[in-house]
Amino acid sequence: MSDFAGMEDLLQDFLTESSELLSEVDNKLVELEKRPDDRALLNDIFRGFHTIKGGAGFLNVDAMVSLCHRTENLFDKLRNGELQLTPEIMDEILMATGAVRDMFGAMAQSRLPAPVDPSLLERLDNVLEGKELHATSAAAATPAPSVATPASQASSPQPNGEEHNWQQLYDVLLDQVPSTSASSEPQVIESTATVIETKPATPVAQVADPMLSLKPAAAVPATTAQRAQSNAASQQLSTQETTIRIDTVRLDQVLNLSGEIGLTKNRLTTLRSDIMSGKMDTGTLKALDEAIGQLDLLVGDLQNAVMKTRMQPIGRLFQKYPRLARDLARQMGKDVELIISGEETELDKTMLEDLNDPLVHLVRNAVDHGIETTEERIAAGKPAKAVVELSATQVGDHIRIEITDDGRGMRPDVIRRKAIEKGLIDIETANSLDDKQSLQLIFLPGFSTKDQISSVSGRGVGMDVVKTNIQKLNGRVDIQSIVGDGSRFTISLPLTLAILPVLVVKVCDQPFAVPLAMVREIITIRQEQVQEVSGRATIVVRDEILSVRSLANLIGWEEVQVPQFGVLMQSAEHSFILAVDSFIGRDDVVIKPLQHIRPKGIAGATLSGDGSIVLVLDMEDLLASTHADHSAIKTSRFAQDLV
Amino acid sequence: MADQNMRFLVVDDFSTMRRIVRNLLKELGFTNVDEAEDGQVALHKLKNGQFEFVVTDWNMPNMTGIELLKAIRADAQLKHLPVLMVTAEAKKENIIEAATAGASGYVVKPFTAATLDEKLKKIFANMGK
Repeated sequence: MSDFAGMEDLLQDFLTESSELLSEVDNKLVELEKRPDDRALLNDIFRGFHTIKGGAGFLNVDAMVSLCHRTENLFDKLRNGELQLTPEIMDEILMATGAVRDMFGAMAQSRLPAPVDPSLLERLDNVLEGKELHATSAAAATPAPSVATPASQASSPQPNGEEHNWQQLYDVLLDQVPSTSASSEPQVIESTATVIETKPATPVAQVADPMLSLKPAAAVPATTAQRAQSNAASQQLSTQETTIRIDTVRLDQVLNLSGEIGLTKNRLTTLRSDIMSGKMDTGTLKALDEAIGQLDLLVGDLQNAVMKTRMQPIGRLFQKYPRLARDLARQMGKDVELIISGEETELDKTMLEDLNDPLVHLVRNAVDHGIETTEERIAAGKPAKAVVELSATQVGDHIRIEITDDGRGMRPDVIRRKAIEKGLIDIETANSLDDKQSLQLIFLPGFSTKDQISSVSGRGVGMDVVKTNIQKLNGRVDIQSIVGDGSRFTISLPLTLAILPVLVVKVCDQPFAVPLAMVREIITIRQEQVQEVSGRATIVVRDEILSVRSLANLIGWEEVQVPQFGVLMQSAEHSFILAVDSFIGRDDVVIKPLQHIRPKGIAGATLSGDGSIVLVLDMEDLLASTHADHSAIKTSRFAQDLV
Repeated sequence: MADQNMRFLVVDDFSTMRRIVRNLLKELGFTNVDEAEDGQVALHKLKNGQFEFVVTDWNMPNMTGIELLKAIRADAQLKHLPVLMVTAEAKKENIIEAATAGASGYVVKPFTAATLDEKLKKIFANMGK
């Protein structure tokens, strides 16, 4: 049952907007550590807490109100110079933002968040009380009841009487307004001001104290609290947002185009009746051709426009990471700065969400494993402060995300040795791997280069998940690393998953679609080019030895003819030639998932221009399913097929 | 009773909050509502539109609610507009500042439709005189 019955819409809005706001606050806090006296930053952070508190008040989330109230006051004091920011205070503030984020997590599941850890509130209060406490703003735990007469106000046992006192005071003043002045406004104002000034502030201060000590100061072991926090945080990450915010300009474009398509449809309807009634002169046919041509353009534009409504700046993800890197670096006693660029690069919303886990892992990995300890850095003659760069750029129809660290780099020989030690590969395989391929070993399940398992980057479950997640998005991860200089992880992703450019090939008279992103080139296969290398059919293309795989065999069919063409495919870790009978051409398709059945190696189906069904191949899946059985693609077999 | 078609401008940098205020106004029967995300945008809209009532947040970037209020009172065309300050700033000095700057009313977050109704009625009554 929802704790927010009747307010679900509002809750959604609040969570979307406040989460962004909180991420901004988090980032500004990281900035603030560098420039503790920056008034603009202090103001922004103050306003952030203030705004969240305001919204939380309307949703009756008392715990959040009371927490944000304290942080807001804290920043009020900081910006007024009444308090000086110390690392200790910063820690409390960061704890507080963490707690607020956890509450968002609870609220996302329609639960009212649990009260804040009382010891955190107490510590914040202690910080606040470092200076004299005077009447501050309202910690409105409940929505203010409609303000009535002073009498009813006085009798209401509200713990936050402070606010009501002011409300009451102001109401008294406003009540005087109509009675004392009928005409000129300035006069009213003056009288109002005077009355307020003559009112002593003491009653308010008295109420303020009991309010602040409302929460019992029960001691909760800090570790438990932290664990609970991280649990809640991971829970929150897994819940996907179901709403999206779209620039109205983009929405208008969609509207415009669908209107135009409607007009073109009308034109076609008219032409149809003409043609049906036997009017088939050149003029009519030309008009038909024009109308269809126009429809073609418009539909393309509409697809683009709709796709754009799903595009979100990647900055929404990136903004969470400086804080992550900072916390982790601090915990490990390292000095790391995360530099972010390309936040405005846009990516499909669903991809953005699925990218979070891999990116979090890569950032953590860079800080944890990539960056050396400060001592090691100094010994190696590097600056003590390490830099991790996270960038996003659009390259053609792909998005490239890079995570670069200036750490110790990865040694291919060490990685190979570890992989053998852990029994992930045999020595023979290890020897056949070049340095680049060796780096890819870290993506194997169960691989962890650290003997000492770190509590931070996990225990070797992670890098493989990074890779699988990226592959699910039709993307790939490449690693570059220079020993002593650092490593770079490059993620390449298609712009969107909604529309997939494919190459349509034909095998056994049936069309199949292959993701165009993987296609490097198309070659003709001549039998004399096929060579046997360690029992596998290969072709040398520009000095590169590539294995040949027959699509018919991969999907478990008997070939009906000798494959004529080879599609040079490139996936994350290997290149190979996919042997097919013939081509139909390239196409932009919308993949429809298959229901109830999931054949190996098939991502889904789509309709071709003539209305027939084309299966879209999932190459990684297809290869994985046959990987265990290498004999299936032995040369002898292939040669037989060729003969 | 106030005209239900009265044109409101709700000013807040937090869109959730604009929506809350908008919903509360709707509950009270006021549906002719436009929004602005800060004082600057609000002032621009006010100068170009026939607004009859301003409900504004205090704490906003670019131009705060109090600056907006002062700008409205300083503008020959706009100075008669009723302005209700919606804010969590319930400090004594803030109330004085708002009152001095010519706020027609002051309501502290969070509030209910009934509270808002009361505030509005007071302002309408005041205007009627």
